[in-house]
Amino acid sequence: MKVENSLFAGFSIFKSFVAVGSFVLMSGVLSSCEGAFEGVYDDPDKEVSIKKGQLVVDATDWQTWHYIDLLEADAAQQKEGKGYSAIEIKIPTERLEASVDEEHSQHEERAGIYTYWYDVFGEGLSKREIRQFVPTKNQDEPASWHLAVHRNNVRTNGGAVYMTAYTSMDDLPESSEAFGEVAFTEDEWNETDVWTVQEKMLQGLIGNQGIKVNSLLSSWLKVSLPPVPPTFTLNNHVFILKLKDGTFAALQLVNYQNAAGVKCHLTINYKYPY
Amino acid sequence: MKKVLFFLLLLTASKGYAQQQDSTFYLQNVVVTGTRTPKLLKDVPIQTRLITAEDIERIDATNVEDLLQQEMPGVEFSYAQNQLKHMNFCGFGGQGVLFLMDGERLAGETMDDVDFSRLEMANVDRIEIVKGAASALYGSNAGGGVINIITKDVKEPWTLNVNARFAKHEERRVGGSWGLNRKAWRNLLSVNHTFTDNFMVKNAPDPKAQVVSTVYGDCTWNVKERLTFSPTAHVKLIGRAGYFYRQVTRTFDNPERYRDYSAGLRGLWDMTGQDHLELSYSFDQYDKSDYHRITKIDVRDYSNVQNIFRGVYHHSWDGGDILTIGADFMHDYLMNKNLGRKNINQDSFDAYAQYDWMASERWEVVGALRYDYFSDKKDSRLSPKLSARYQPLENMNVRFGYGMGFRAPALKEKYYNFDMVGIWIIQGNEQLKSEVSHNFQASADYTRGQYNFTASVYYNDVRNKIATGVPHYLPTDYKQLYLDYVNFENYAVWGGEATVQARWSNGLSARMSYAYTDERLPKNKEGQAVNNQYIPARRHSLMVRVDWSKQFSQNYGLSLSLNGRFLSGVENVEFVDYYDISKGTNKVEYPAYTLWKLSAAQRFGKAWKLTVAVDNLLNYKPKYYYFNCPLTDGANLMVGLSIDLNRLR
Repeated sequence: MKVENSLFAGFSIFKSFVAVGSFVLMSGVLSSCEGAFEGVYDDPDKEVSIKKGQLVVDATDWQTWHYIDLLEADAAQQKEGKGYSAIEIKIPTERLEASVDEEHSQHEERAGIYTYWYDVFGEGLSKREIRQFVPTKNQDEPASWHLAVHRNNVRTNGGAVYMTAYTSMDDLPESSEAFGEVAFTEDEWNETDVWTVQEKMLQGLIGNQGIKVNSLLSSWLKVSLPPVPPTFTLNNHVFILKLKDGTFAALQLVNYQNAAGVKCHLTINYKYPY
Repeated sequence: MKKVLFFLLLLTASKGYAQQQDSTFYLQNVVVTGTRTPKLLKDVPIQTRLITAEDIERIDATNVEDLLQQEMPGVEFSYAQNQLKHMNFCGFGGQGVLFLMDGERLAGETMDDVDFSRLEMANVDRIEIVKGAASALYGSNAGGGVINIITKDVKEPWTLNVNARFAKHEERRVGGSWGLNRKAWRNLLSVNHTFTDNFMVKNAPDPKAQVVSTVYGDCTWNVKERLTFSPTAHVKLIGRAGYFYRQVTRTFDNPERYRDYSAGLRGLWDMTGQDHLELSYSFDQYDKSDYHRITKIDVRDYSNVQNIFRGVYHHSWDGGDILTIGADFMHDYLMNKNLGRKNINQDSFDAYAQYDWMASERWEVVGALRYDYFSDKKDSRLSPKLSARYQPLENMNVRFGYGMGFRAPALKEKYYNFDMVGIWIIQGNEQLKSEVSHNFQASADYTRGQYNFTASVYYNDVRNKIATGVPHYLPTDYKQLYLDYVNFENYAVWGGEATVQARWSNGLSARMSYAYTDERLPKNKEGQAVNNQYIPARRHSLMVRVDWSKQFSQNYGLSLSLNGRFLSGVENVEFVDYYDISKGTNKVEYPAYTLWKLSAAQRFGKAWKLTVAVDNLLNYKPKYYYFNCPLTDGANLMVGLSIDLNRLR
């Protein structure tokens, strides 16, 4: 009986609360035909501040490489209010008319668009067959650059990469000397990962640029198919980039989308020289 | 006498609890959906399928999808891209069947279907299902039928229930409800939570159509509050508020979130015993957002807000005739990042009248007419309905009728512009006409002793069916495929249903229900079948259930239940290559399947109930997880416990 009485006492207070609450709620609701509770959500157009030692690259375009010069990025950040803009260079997709030999040979490492069929709805990307090769001119490059990004692909300018066990730049050893003895991975020829032509993607056909990429550094963003649409997985380990001049840089991908959810909008932490 | 009966029915219907005396098959229960007036199930002039709280408890259904696929033959849930759910209700999709919660419409859709997981079965008193066109009373979207979910009211001085159920894939369902009833006030607060983890399924090589490899679970929260105030015996005021949340994690970094905020105020006034007035206001906001786990921001990309005012007046005469007059006003707001413009508003208004004429002891005729107006494109529509019930014997009814159904094009279907990852652009069509259906149906039911038989047939002729058409290139843009919403001619669906049920005095009861559905899909000018956006209804479906219940002593009772369903195979004409339509179409065969569930519920005292069930008893695993197969990976053991704390001694 005691339980019942206290429940009823609670009920009287509750009634008043609900009556007042309902009135307030109804007034609020009626005042807006476009709904309520906007405060629950975040504004996708709100500008995100770029931290020191961080650069943002919109690498969403399928047919553009974005070339990054880490010294330029640093310099741009010193200038107040100016962010760093990577140099954009289009991937050549036009058929190179001078070429007569269009038969693909896996050992040639010829510049061009290699169209592969992938078993998108079955076993996934690892099951694939070459279907077409269109020779193109070589990829243009700027005079000075350290790394280049295209969606989830990364190239280095004659460098090599090591993946550390660290997931924070702050935890890195004082200097790159700590990585003197480890094995670095160089860029390698690739004709299946640099997705360039997407028109027939859901037929499983994707046109790829034949070019050298760094598969280890590219593993900072993994794309999986199936499912359709593909899923993206971020690997937030810090990578050490050994450049061809013997200097080192530390790199970490911390986000791959913007506030509107667009994928391959990269936010990269960097330290150079390291 | 009749007016007293009408008044009593109104009270009973609004109280919402089941009258079970003299009701082996719930024929004495009150239903409201078919005529918008309370009627005994045995006397209702529009055939109504009633699913009671007892049925829901026996099936142990979590939400309306769970319930309908176990209880209704001819209803199937399949999947679209991204595993979004799609209902096929006797040939009608999600936009062709009107879902109501206590008589109120629901905002929001995904792939043209309401969010079924939002329609949980906790605290549901009954579900009334009226098949066939009902637009003369309910307006747009009621072409294929109406499914009205009616929630429980508080009958006892206080109630407090807690319950939980656990199953495979970390599935859990936890809920509680607290009810109070004192003098003029009644209150019911309920909180329910569900969770199911994602799991992988394995397909055989070389599927003939798209398959699912990961089955996505979800996490939901549903909070509902309802306060009822009855200052006099003739006046009742009901205020309600609700919050629903669902999260689906298709990708770890970007869980999808769905939220619904609802509120309403309803007043019921029995003016004279013969005149009854109901006024209500309803607010429903359904939002979709993506959570960015890395940056911890939650970005909304869809919001549908409906503000609805309703009024309905009934007058009953001594002879049993009832006049119903009503009007509704709705303001509909849609924000969708995939619209051609940022957001759209639309006002709609309707007025309707219905006369229920008791022509004689054996004949009842109901006629209704409704006018609907939509501000967008200034569209309007007049929908009639005429039904009759003939009672040749006291325990037999024959019903037949014609009804017009319509579905105004949704704002999305007019203004959508969705770039599907660069593959094609799904685009709205401002010139879309309303989809109109002409529904003819006849049914009969007969009860003798412990047996009840019902049979029905229907034919729906659908004009201007709204769907996405054939992907095409624009003359100015040969690289980009477009997929437009269009009106299809020549769509029809016909079918029937037969049910036999029995309930014996030894605690045993059984029910067998068969449905036949034949969709006549649109064809091209050459008379050939064209690609169908959704897999058509399976032609044959059979539901079987056998229940046995016994109370062994005051402190112990046991109920056993065996449920089975069989769905026949189905063929569908689909593009050989959906993204290269020049390759033409071919037929894809989707296999038949059967699923069974065995459950045992033990009652200890008055407060405790322990339920153990094995779903998918025969351990069925699809060879290919096609979009219309049950997403099961074998037998599933479910264990649940429910405690009515107010009944603890």
